[in-house]
Amino acid sequence: MYKVILPFRYLFKKRISYLALVAVALCVFIVVVVMTVMTGLVRDFKQKNHSFVGDCVVGTESLVGFSYYEDFMKVLEQADFIEGLSAAIKNYALINPKGSQRSVGVEIMGIDPVRHSEATGFGETLHYSKSDVSRTFKPSYDPNLAGCVVGIDLWLGRDAKGQYTYAAKPERQALGVSCFPLTPKGALAKAGAGEVNTKTFYYSDTSHSGLARVDSSFVYLPFEQAQSLCGMDRPVKRASWLHIKFGPNVKPEAGCEKVALLWRQFVRGKGAGLLDTVKVQSWKDYRRPFIAAMEKEQTMLTAMFVLVGVTTVFIVLVVFYMIISHKSKDIGVLKSVGISNSNILLLFLCFAFWVGVFGSAIGAAAGWQFLVHINQIENWLFEHFEFQLWDRTIYAIGDIPNTIDLEVLAVIIVSAIGACLAGALIPSWQAARQKPVEILQVTQL
Amino acid sequence: MLNLFLWLRYLRKKKIVLLSIAAVALSCSLLIVVTSLFNSFINAFEQSAVETMGDVVLTPPIKFTNYPMLIERLEGLGAVEAATATISAPGLVHLGKGNVRAVIIWGIEPGRRQKVTGFKRFLLKQKDSATAPSFATDSATGKLGGFVGVGVVAEPDEKTDEYDFGEIEKMMGKRAVLTTGAAVESRVDDKRGRQFKRRVLPFTIADVLFTGMYYVDEKFVYLPIEQLQKILYPNEEGGIADQIQIKLTNDAQTDAAMAQIRGVWEEFAEKQLGWGSYLISQAEVSTSKQMQSQYAAELRKQMGVLLFIFGVISLTVVVLVFCIFYMIVETRQKDIAVIRSCGASGGAVALTFVGFGACVGIIGSVLGAVLGYAVTKNINAIEEWIRVIFGLKLWKSSVYMFSKIPNEVDWAWALPIIFFAVAAAVVGALIPAVVAARTEPVNILRYE
Repeated sequence: MYKVILPFRYLFKKRISYLALVAVALCVFIVVVVMTVMTGLVRDFKQKNHSFVGDCVVGTESLVGFSYYEDFMKVLEQADFIEGLSAAIKNYALINPKGSQRSVGVEIMGIDPVRHSEATGFGETLHYSKSDVSRTFKPSYDPNLAGCVVGIDLWLGRDAKGQYTYAAKPERQALGVSCFPLTPKGALAKAGAGEVNTKTFYYSDTSHSGLARVDSSFVYLPFEQAQSLCGMDRPVKRASWLHIKFGPNVKPEAGCEKVALLWRQFVRGKGAGLLDTVKVQSWKDYRRPFIAAMEKEQTMLTAMFVLVGVTTVFIVLVVFYMIISHKSKDIGVLKSVGISNSNILLLFLCFAFWVGVFGSAIGAAAGWQFLVHINQIENWLFEHFEFQLWDRTIYAIGDIPNTIDLEVLAVIIVSAIGACLAGALIPSWQAARQKPVEILQVTQL
Repeated sequence: MLNLFLWLRYLRKKKIVLLSIAAVALSCSLLIVVTSLFNSFINAFEQSAVETMGDVVLTPPIKFTNYPMLIERLEGLGAVEAATATISAPGLVHLGKGNVRAVIIWGIEPGRRQKVTGFKRFLLKQKDSATAPSFATDSATGKLGGFVGVGVVAEPDEKTDEYDFGEIEKMMGKRAVLTTGAAVESRVDDKRGRQFKRRVLPFTIADVLFTGMYYVDEKFVYLPIEQLQKILYPNEEGGIADQIQIKLTNDAQTDAAMAQIRGVWEEFAEKQLGWGSYLISQAEVSTSKQMQSQYAAELRKQMGVLLFIFGVISLTVVVLVFCIFYMIVETRQKDIAVIRSCGASGGAVALTFVGFGACVGIIGSVLGAVLGYAVTKNINAIEEWIRVIFGLKLWKSSVYMFSKIPNEVDWAWALPIIFFAVAAAVVGALIPAVVAARTEPVNILRYE
């Protein structure tokens, strides 16, 4: 019973305990808020990349692309674990809005919008044709024209709150798109004859993927026209990537392995060397260069907060040292009635445990409340002081992520309790080793 | 003297004091490292603009002719050391089999540009040459030569983030093909108007630029301004430019110099170009640092947020110092009582502990400053160790713009941090000092 009563007595009666509580709560509060925002940003970024790519890709970084993609698509279409499959052309191009005196270098992506929306989240990124993706490349002002979808940041500006203002209908705007058509060996297909292919497309929609780099540099074109523009329609048809979506019960890693196996079997029948540069990658591997940077920042932040945890350990150590030095008589009495060393140790570790529990509960509750209102706080700060955590005209970030990841919260709370126990360990050990005969002798009383 | 004796004694005897010193040092160094790295990055970011575009940039709303005359007039100003013209256009470059990149083409005057930005030091082949940088090529005399950024012709290694300069050297003298375009006067359906015309131009790579600024290295192709002008605007004469980049003299007052530059521009545009007042007023005269100000402000804000977070965390140092000092006061009651019984006032005793707090703060913050300095200065080596030991490449130029982590210690921030660290230690010692001052010697020293 004393192991229950005494820790609570020390916790609520000794004001110095409040210091340990405050220190733990403060650290937990900061870590919960920062890690929730950071984790939310990373999760959101990964989700958008996943949506942009699909579950798996097969293809090559080479702008030449790879041939026999149609044959391999037939193989994949027979696989029951694949739900969506789309071929894509990727290349660089120069676009010039007609009537404008400027041009801009972009990446073009040739897709079949319906198939691509089945394999990726492309359909969800559209504005005007979200409900009927088959009309994506049919401009509403003249469906007979060849349409194109433009990355939103190439077309519209963000306001201070990160919002775009769309016109009721897409405006008629012709865009000249030029690129180098390449032979299967990578040479210029039209060497000495103008060297570039140019074709006019008409703005039909915008795509808002939420990925700044994609939205500021991608223009989507109809698959066949992009293939022809890039010289990938002859002598054999080529594509850059195949985007694949797996069925709901297929794990991405397992699905990728199955696709890789199918690819190896397919290549064996096509002769060596032809398809060497083609890789089968999961969406994570494909977007690794972009995702890794954010993950590293998260790792560095976590490392910094480990330092914060170390400070908490020291505060708890000092507080416990003080409490134990003041409670030597209690220890003497307890030991004189037969309480063992290990039970004394346990008593103070229980106390540390409760400090950790209450401290982290207060910190987590305060953090949760702060996170619930974080966007309101930011709006208020913006309205009154023009302060935003991130300038939305620069960063493609909407609301500040504020959904607490329970797994992260659990790790933080367990770490806080662990830090308290670690900090209390040495003072508790010293308390347990005290001799009642020395503590309770008359000169010490 | 007594205070000094007691401080030294407590420092030697009370090992726990070392804990408070360590906490102060750790917080202090953390804040110094964060501010130094952020400020170095911001400075490098702003400096990169100066190294790319000079001190001041004059950007008219549209391209203009007769730039040599404008440059001559600008260089006549006492505040202007040198000026150079550029003409730019986006383009695609085909560098070899299957290798196409989207780039920005800059038409430049290499000799003048060297005076404005000192860009020769970035040229891999010509950096040690005694002559002015040139587009001349060894193998293809008479052919158009051009410079390309190192990132245009190669990718940094995935693991080390370093370029293979051996391979890059092999690119020199190779042929590349650019496609670009410009709006030129033309006749469409019997109407005259400006039409965007595409141009394709082959060139030979005369040299490769490695500035260490990823965006510049990855995006830019440089050609002689005269040749680029002929290709983009074949029907126009008289030196066409769309930007003038200016280097000021060392003693020039920037604001005054900018006003003079604007004056020269307005006169030139009105008299030589015949532009109206609206078009003239649309020209921007700004320092290259001002052109980066929105991003620099955003970076400074992020640093502020990070400092606030770490500042709040550093408050725990106050708590730690308080706890340790409280413990010392509790366990040194007899010392205090003896001092007081010798006639020392409560204030003097309090001062002893506040002074001890300041002493802890000073030692901790000095150690923290040394640690912060060492970490900041060696941050690139530390990052390399992390890569070698854990295989984790934390800094990549493609993400963070620069090849190396900018690592100048910012003493303008470090000194206030040191001051606040000392103040935090003093604040932490304040309540224990008051407790010590209120100690009654008679209660402590009585026999029973």
